Amino acid sequence: MNKPIIGKALEYIITFFIILTLNFMVPRLMPGDPFTFLSNDEVGVSFTFTEEEIKKYKDYYGLNKPITTQYVDYLKNTLSGYLGYSIFYNDEVLNIITERITWTISLVFISTLISAFSGSLLGSISAYYRHRKIDKVLYFFFVSISQIPPFLIGLLILYYFGAYLKLFPLSGGITPFMEYNSYWHKIIDLAYHFILPALTLSFVNIGNFYLVSRNSVIEILSKDYITTAKAKALKKRRIVFVHALRNAIFPIVTRIFLSFGTVIGGAVLIENVFNYPGLGLLMKEAVFYRDYPLIQGIFTIMALFVLTMNLLSDLINKKLDPRLS
Amino acid sequence: MGNTLLKVEGLKVNYFSENGKIEAIKEVSFNVKKGETIGIIGESGSGKTSIAMAITGLLENNAEVKGKIIYEGVNLLDLKEEEINNYRWNKIAIVFQNRLDVLNPVLTIKEQITEVIIRHNNLCKDEVYKKVRNLFESIGLSKDWLNRYPHELSGGMRQKVLIAMALACEPDLLIVDEPTSSLDADSRSEIINLLKGIQNSNRKFSMIVVSHDLTLIKELTFKVLVLYSGHILEEGITREVIKNPLHPYTRGLLNSSPELNPYQDLWGIPISLKEEKGKGCPFYQRCNQARIECSEQVPKLKNLSLERKVACNRGGILTILEAKGICKKFTYKNRVIKACDNCNIDIKSGEIVALVGQSGSGKTTLANIISGFSKADNGEVVFDGNKIENFKEIRKLNGLQIIFQDPFSSINPNFTIEEAIREPLDILKIETKDLRKEKVKKILTDVQLPVEQSFVKKKCMELSGGQRQRVAIARGLIMEPKILIADEICSMLDPSTKANMLRLLKELQNKKGFSMLYITHDLNIARKISDRVFVMYNGNLVESGNAYEIFNKPKCNYTKKLIQKGFMKAL
Repeated sequence: MNKPIIGKALEYIITFFIILTLNFMVPRLMPGDPFTFLSNDEVGVSFTFTEEEIKKYKDYYGLNKPITTQYVDYLKNTLSGYLGYSIFYNDEVLNIITERITWTISLVFISTLISAFSGSLLGSISAYYRHRKIDKVLYFFFVSISQIPPFLIGLLILYYFGAYLKLFPLSGGITPFMEYNSYWHKIIDLAYHFILPALTLSFVNIGNFYLVSRNSVIEILSKDYITTAKAKALKKRRIVFVHALRNAIFPIVTRIFLSFGTVIGGAVLIENVFNYPGLGLLMKEAVFYRDYPLIQGIFTIMALFVLTMNLLSDLINKKLDPRLS
Repeated sequence: MGNTLLKVEGLKVNYFSENGKIEAIKEVSFNVKKGETIGIIGESGSGKTSIAMAITGLLENNAEVKGKIIYEGVNLLDLKEEEINNYRWNKIAIVFQNRLDVLNPVLTIKEQITEVIIRHNNLCKDEVYKKVRNLFESIGLSKDWLNRYPHELSGGMRQKVLIAMALACEPDLLIVDEPTSSLDADSRSEIINLLKGIQNSNRKFSMIVVSHDLTLIKELTFKVLVLYSGHILEEGITREVIKNPLHPYTRGLLNSSPELNPYQDLWGIPISLKEEKGKGCPFYQRCNQARIECSEQVPKLKNLSLERKVACNRGGILTILEAKGICKKFTYKNRVIKACDNCNIDIKSGEIVALVGQSGSGKTTLANIISGFSKADNGEVVFDGNKIENFKEIRKLNGLQIIFQDPFSSINPNFTIEEAIREPLDILKIETKDLRKEKVKKILTDVQLPVEQSFVKKKCMELSGGQRQRVAIARGLIMEPKILIADEICSMLDPSTKANMLRLLKELQNKKGFSMLYITHDLNIARKISDRVFVMYNGNLVESGNAYEIFNKPKCNYTKKLIQKGFMKAL
């Protein structure tokens, strides 16, 4: 019983280190340099660093040390919770990220919940009515939309609901400079901005959940215990929701947690479409300004998040499935 | 109606798949009386489970069910899904075959049993729980197991849980599908006793037991249906059917059961004896007594006796040879020796009959009379409907052939192997010369001798005893006999050659389906190979019967003595 746990833990630790190493290497392999960029501001107010200044900054950030020392320092800092100091924002990376992360996390969680719930519901219905019209229509629909890239869906939704119907705001996560009478008022405003990006992100993932749950339920419905349940003359509802779904839920739960990886990826794109103030938008800015510490920090946090979710999926399936405990 | 609980009439089940229609059940009819237990036996794929599923209305959408399934006057096939639910489990419950997934893996045993009680009864929680506990008591499982999950139970326990679950709503008809497959001997007998006990103690419910476990069928059922590829081939009282099967298929099934044949080598029913399938009798291809008409005509299930029905165009297993009242005397120096005194012997198609007795008891004389070599003073031998006179039956294809004890003198040592085997065909001018040579090659392969020219052209005198005996068998088999009489054919061979020879003979018998009269004084061998035994003593046939019974419960004093001596030697 203990051995698999140790093995699993080791797996996660090794994965985390590999990610950290890549994280360390990628910015250093990218073309461009934050100091030449700082000197070429997009607004055009250009100023240049002198050789001296560049040297000073490089000393400050430790960029002129040998690469191995840099690597060891980086690992030490990251593991002690220090993610560095943003070159562009002049603030600690961790502070900037914590400020922005709630936006992204809530977007990711809520949209995942929506897509998982509606996807598995529709998937179960489809499985139950397999080969009938309703199944064929749903199947075609979800297979097609899962092929459309997320940003395109985002743009379409933004255009239709935001620009054309003018039902929702075009960008941002909150109305700027708004003064709220009550807490409730603020929530409504937040929700108002939240709906379109969340809808888009749910839409992007729902096909995934639909397909997983459809397959899973189809497989379960052909099992012997479903025949047993039918022979026992149990009600249809009990057969589908107790006997079938309790078994079909495992791959769906796994999929929920595993999908956080892709959902975060989707969130990055969609935040940029909707100008939503989460990590995605922050990342774009960080990449744009070659803000290495910030890029690395965002990557680290995201990797940590995805790994945690994977771990949770393992643990929760074990809890849910009596055969694994 | 009255006493009949379930009446199945002309039941047909067809499955539709991408490859077309599969007829799983073709016109099956039977009745189940109240409190009666019937068994359905047959090989896998014969349609046993399809019948069970059709009765409970659980076949998938790709199945089509025709005919009538009348339960207490209501045709279940006319009912809608919701209406059938009033019968399911409440009146007709099923114990499914014990596969791992037959119970829901994520629900506890308790949940799975209580849910049916709640569904079909109006009981409060306490009453439900009490009922479950009583059920567990009656199947002999501790109630600690109630909160466990199916995977935590052993196979035997799971089977008990399945039975408890099926009994939860006190059904009138219990269908039990293979309750003992995959169980060890101990749990198996436990389950058999459990089923027997429950049925006796509770108010009598009816039971349909579907299984290929013949011991189970023998223990539990009163009547039995023998199913083959969707047809009932034999129906009768279980005890009678097992004692005396009347259809070759039933006999094949019984012969494949190690419990019923503890001494014999086990040989299943041959996959196919003939190349074409035929449109007639479903068993045509595998039947050892099929005729051309069997390939065209589907046999109907007909009464052979009051309680016994058989579906066979030939009226069940044929008696291929019958010798009645055979007497033969020899006079030697004024002394009259009765070699055979009013001997009656019969051989059915496809069976191995052993004729045992001491040397000098008259076995060989009897064999010679049966085969037509010598003439009886009295009595007659009827083979395949014709009286045997002289060498008529030996001199034809599909007749009767005899193999003698001594291969050295029964085969001309100066013949080549090919000549020796081909001789009967040559004499009778059967087929062309090339075809005869072909036949020799085929038969040599059958008796596991080489077919190379260098071997075939050898003179018989160059062969060993075992090889010569094989040549003698080949010579007999080339005439495709219906009966092969083997007179002490192994007594001159060493043990290993003997063992090989016996296996070969049994294999050939199983493959080609001929009957065999095996004459021997060696009881061990008789017990090993024979289905039925005749015991001969001083020219009299003193006892005959089923091999198992003769060797275990001999009635005649002489047989008892013979068996005592015969097997003491072995120990």
